This record gives sequence, C-alpha cells and structure tokens, in this order.
Amino acid sequence: MHPDLDPQRSGLARLLRELPESAAAPYGYREFEQRALARAHQEHGHAGGRRLAVAAVLFLAALAVLLRLNGTPHTAPHGLGAAEVRGAPGLDPEDAPAPSASTAERWLASLPSEPAMVRVGTRAAVMGLEDRIAQVDDLLTATGDAGSAPERLRALQQERSRLVGTLVQVRYAQTLANASP
Amino acid sequence: MSRLVEIAVSGELLARARAGEAAARQALYVALAPATHAFIRRLVGQRALAEDLFQDTMMIFYERLPQFRQEAPVGAWLRQIAVSRCLMYLRSPWKRARLCLEPVDCGVAAEVAALITPGYSGELIDLERALASLAPTARAIVWMYEVEGYSHQEIAHAFGRSVSFSKSQLARAHLRLRTWLQPQEHPPSCTLI
Repeated sequence: MHPDLDPQRSGLARLLRELPESAAAPYGYREFEQRALARAHQEHGHAGGRRLAVAAVLFLAALAVLLRLNGTPHTAPHGLGAAEVRGAPGLDPEDAPAPSASTAERWLASLPSEPAMVRVGTRAAVMGLEDRIAQVDDLLTATGDAGSAPERLRALQQERSRLVGTLVQVRYAQTLANASP
Repeated sequence: MSRLVEIAVSGELLARARAGEAAARQALYVALAPATHAFIRRLVGQRALAEDLFQDTMMIFYERLPQFRQEAPVGAWLRQIAVSRCLMYLRSPWKRARLCLEPVDCGVAAEVAALITPGYSGELIDLERALASLAPTARAIVWMYEVEGYSHQEIAHAFGRSVSFSKSQLARAHLRLRTWLQPQEHPPSCTLI
C-alpha cells in the first residue's frame, strides 16, 4: 500500500477497501466451459467469414482491373465522375463526354432537402480537454519548481489559455444545445 | 472474500490443472473466479461488460496456464491478465466512442443497485454511487491505486500514459469522490469527469 499523509485521502482509501465484494462467480465452471466452446466456434466462423470476405474483395479488385483494361479510357462510370475526367490535365475537353445531367439531378434529388442535425455527446471532448489542462498544470508546476527557462513557462501558459479557450467554446456549445428545444 | 492476490493455491493443484485434469481446473475456477469477477467489475463498472471480460480473462488464464512458472502468486498473475484485458477495452477507440455516445446517466443507478447487499452501510452506498459516477478510466485508476496497491508508474505503464496523467486523474477522482461524500442538500449531478 502507499504511504498517505492526507487523512481525508487515507479515509477514502480505507472506505474503498471496505467495500464488500460479491462472493460468487457470475456463473459456474460448466457454464464457463460452454461459453468458451461457443466463443471458439464463433471465432472459427469469423475466421471462415474473413477468408470469404478477403476472397470476395480480391475477386472484385481483379474484376475492376479487367474492366478498366477493357473499357474506354475516357468513359467514367457516373456522370459526376465524368466531370472529373473532363477536368483532367492533358485531356482535350472536347473529347470527354458531358456529365449526364439526369444522373447529377438524380444524385441531387437523393440528398436530404435540409441537413440532418445529429446530437452527439460532448463528454469525450470535455474530458479530453480537462485532462490536457490538468497535464499542462502539472507541467507548469514542475517547470516553475525547477526554475526552468521562462520561454518554456510562457509556452505552457499559452497552451493552457488555448485549451481553456477551446473548453469554453465546447461548454458554450453545450449550453446552447441544452437551451434549444 | 479475499482479494485476488491473496488467494493461496497449492502447487500440487496447479500442477494437476496444468496437466489438464478437469477436476483440478474446476477447483481452480472455484477458488479464483469470484475474486477475478469482482476485480473486473470494479475496473469496468458495467455488469454485462464485466462478464464478457471475465470470460475472456479466464479463457486466457487456462490457455496460458502451462506457461505459468510460479514466480508470483497465481492470483497476481491472473490479476495481470485481467488488467490487460480491461485496459485493452478501455483504451480501444471504438469502445471509448461507444461509451461517449451512451447517455450520461447510463444505468448508473441500476448498476449500483445490483451491487448493494444488506451488508452495506449508508456511507458505503454513497461511495458505490460516487464510484459509479466516475469515468471508466478514473474509476480504474482509483481502484488500482487505492485498493490493489499499484504505483503511479505501474498505472502509467499499464495505460500507456505518463505518470502525471495517473496522478492528475487520481487527484480529480478523489476530489469528485469527496464532493459526493460530503453531506449536502442537493447531491451532485451524474456528470462523468
């Protein structure tokens, strides 16, 4: 165990060690063996599936190469691709086919009329930023104690302000998102 | 129940289990499984996930048992396997993303309720709640340092991070736990640190 001079902290550690634990395994040995067998079968199946997937990918790649070799060099598979071909250097724009308007229109029609709004948790971002700020604080303390170069201290302080600024932005966005219906 | 590293297993039982004797393997399971599961549950928090990682850990344990040279107690060796499985899970970007997308109060109350038995005092129930409110990494670090006796260097090595990462995570987790345990009118929200 670790020597701990902080009484509050050692009290907490003592409490943690006092927490009762479940005295039973989640399941018995027989069940464990059955699960192990099932998992081995599953992994065997996955390995077979992986082999099949690799074979399929290789087959498709070979097919794509064959089609590419046999096809006309100026023909793009889709209207939008053709636009790229037309803009390619060294290619006469007159030779390249015009992008199919109907394909482009179909693609446009398939897009949602309004961009979807997806809410994702910001906890990871906040946690990451807080961790980094804590690390910079540690470094600042260590650098200050060691009486290191002032440039290093300044750089660390700048890094800290930058991180705090980013954290403020994330928290502000969080607040706005919470306030919106 | 004893902690995993304190469980004594006879050399003779180990030798029989290594030789593949089914009864010896079962006896080892009976001796080691409860503490292993409890330890994993403490590190990862969620019951279903702990069961998965427990199964993984025990499978690896039996698989590698013939290579075990008894230089350390078998419990310590098993604990090492469990730690490496749990940290592999906690460090995986896919799992981290999944944890982040889960709601903040993701069944914390249910997980705590499942842990609490009649032997719990009010203070220990509060502590279970406080522990459950910590982020998985912070909780694992608190448990490894305070209960299992890992040093900051060992934790940093296990997580592939710096010693200062371990220290700052522990300090912040302590602060959070103390805030939870202080008597107050309104308990803190279930925000993960």
